[in-house]
Amino acid sequence: MEFFLQQTVNGLTLGSVYALLALGYSMVYGVLKLLNFAHGEVYMFGAFAGYGVLTILGGSSALVVPVWLAIVLMFVAAMATSSAIGVALERFAYRPLRNSTRIAPLISAIGASFFLQASALLLFTANSRTYNTPQLIQIETGIPFGPIRVWMVRLLVIASAALLMVLLTLWVNRTKTGKAVRAVSFDREAAAMMGIDVDKVIVIVFLIGSALAGIGGVMVGLVFGRIFHLMGFVAGLKAFTAAVVGGIGSIPGAMLGGLLIGFAEAYTTGYISSTFQNLIVFGLLILVLLVRPSGLLGRPELVKV
Amino acid sequence: MRNKPIWRTMAVLLALALVAAACGGDDSADTTTTTSGPAATTTTAADATTTTAAEPMVCEATVGFMGPITGPVAFIGEVQLNWFKYAVDTFNSDMGYDFGIAEFDTQFDAAQASTLAAQVLDNSAIVGIVGPAGSDQVDAAGAVFEAGDPNLTFISPSSTRVGITAKYNGLFRTVGTDDDQGPTTADLIISQGGTKVFMIDDQSSYSTGLADSTQAALEAGNVEVIRESVSQDITDFSALVSNIPDDADFVYLPWQIAANGQILANQMAEQGKDAVIVGSDGMDSDDFSTPGSFILSFVADISAFPQSADLLAGYLAQYPNTNTFGPPVFVATQVILEAIDRVCAAGEVPSRASVLAEVRNTDLADSIIGQPISFTPEGNMVVSQWYVFQIQEDGSKVGFVG
Repeated sequence: MEFFLQQTVNGLTLGSVYALLALGYSMVYGVLKLLNFAHGEVYMFGAFAGYGVLTILGGSSALVVPVWLAIVLMFVAAMATSSAIGVALERFAYRPLRNSTRIAPLISAIGASFFLQASALLLFTANSRTYNTPQLIQIETGIPFGPIRVWMVRLLVIASAALLMVLLTLWVNRTKTGKAVRAVSFDREAAAMMGIDVDKVIVIVFLIGSALAGIGGVMVGLVFGRIFHLMGFVAGLKAFTAAVVGGIGSIPGAMLGGLLIGFAEAYTTGYISSTFQNLIVFGLLILVLLVRPSGLLGRPELVKV
Repeated sequence: MRNKPIWRTMAVLLALALVAAACGGDDSADTTTTTSGPAATTTTAADATTTTAAEPMVCEATVGFMGPITGPVAFIGEVQLNWFKYAVDTFNSDMGYDFGIAEFDTQFDAAQASTLAAQVLDNSAIVGIVGPAGSDQVDAAGAVFEAGDPNLTFISPSSTRVGITAKYNGLFRTVGTDDDQGPTTADLIISQGGTKVFMIDDQSSYSTGLADSTQAALEAGNVEVIRESVSQDITDFSALVSNIPDDADFVYLPWQIAANGQILANQMAEQGKDAVIVGSDGMDSDDFSTPGSFILSFVADISAFPQSADLLAGYLAQYPNTNTFGPPVFVATQVILEAIDRVCAAGEVPSRASVLAEVRNTDLADSIIGQPISFTPEGNMVVSQWYVFQIQEDGSKVGFVG
């Protein structure tokens, strides 16, 4: 039981980060039908922005402000940085190609991904950085859950991700802008004819999706420690898988997909072998797509003939 | 329009945060000590230049460097390249030559190494190569060299895979091999009373090969081994850590990314796992600093050798940081340059074949890494040694004698 609980917490932590990242993929796909392959790099820049703030504030061993304030500022900086990059991507890499062939923005996204990776290499060098979180929040601090103890940082990550997902759901379902996002996602041309500023909605989607990715970057830095310029690639791939498993374009689907991938990785490592982790995860993707091609919570696309 | 100042302020703040991230010390630089005693070395080098400047420069050649200057282990390549440049500069200065250099970035990728090897062959001025760093890249480049020009000398400063030197005529190395490292690791664990070891390879050929040899030696010593495997592309090992049995004495990590070892150590502490970590030479970096852990290294702490102190100080005066991957590069470069020097002294124009012949004759009584340098017919070092360090509470490493 202890082992199962521990793996559940491990999976929940990882799944929460995947879910935040998957939301960005899903939201952008929802409004633009575009796979934003540069999203992983947006997340990577968020992680570095958080590290930058931590450095400005004295570093994890000599922090000049209270820990909670430092973490809040790190989140804010990461959100702002990632949003700025996301919006810039939309403006310069995707918008000019919006009415082009379907493959053009995809190639542009891949190019943007490499551009951002190379930029990070030049800016931050290839050396990895560590948040040294145990110096900020002692590993011994935690809350007991039955036979296991969960580190405060993990609780922070899980709780923050849950809160953000709830807020996003409320925003999409209860606000006028959220309604506009849903309208654009449903039918961009019809939404434009109804007076919705489609460009503005798309910018907002990039802004929010990227901000969530930035938060995910700081979360990874806080809970796992190491950040480096290539960190966005694998995380982005897993999050993309999560978005597809959940049903790309579906916000609840992205959340579900992220958590499923997180749990699948943790339980595979725990009960089978870490060697087969990726095999199981991507096997799950294939299985879901075979049974439900539109993903677990995705809607089948209707095509007029 | 009214929002513009806010956006401008935000942009400035973001730029500041990213600049801070860029300027914030990287893991390897965090604990690097810079010394203030290089002035004497600088003066000596300048004097040497002045003394020998009048001598005719009849000996010309280019030496290449192949290493992971960018990519996932750029922290290794960066230091290796710096030591390579430092060695060439020092020898040019001391010996009055003007040897050229050529850099080839393998990105720690075998395919890239193979492509670059063809470029090396095309450049006839290159008479020797320092590198590549990893065994996979050595293998890839070696196949191209062997087919194109088996007389090209290439000396790897960090490839430890067993048997690789036997495959290529021009290959040498300035570090020991895994068939020594594995048993040394096993001896350490057994001498510390280990009965159960949790071993995690990183799915690379370096790691699996080393894990295999260590596992065999441990099992021969009646130590129970539980083997797992994980990609180094990820940074969350918590699910794997949960699998470490409470009664495991040691966790063995034959990894190449030390920062990941530190993450695993943190996650072990989080889950109350108190097994002692033993890391391979790839973990020998300031990125890993868990007190009580053991680290294997193919190089001793060169600052302990009197004959290396000036060279180390001279290096640190020019370059920001070093690690154990650096000094073997200096030795490899020294071997090639001295071979060229001997060719020239014999009145010959340096060629790949003549340099290779002289490299085989290398017989240095001492070196910056504190041991004599000569090679077996296959290209391995005649005398090679592995060192064990234990990490202290303050993060420093001290030589361990079990």
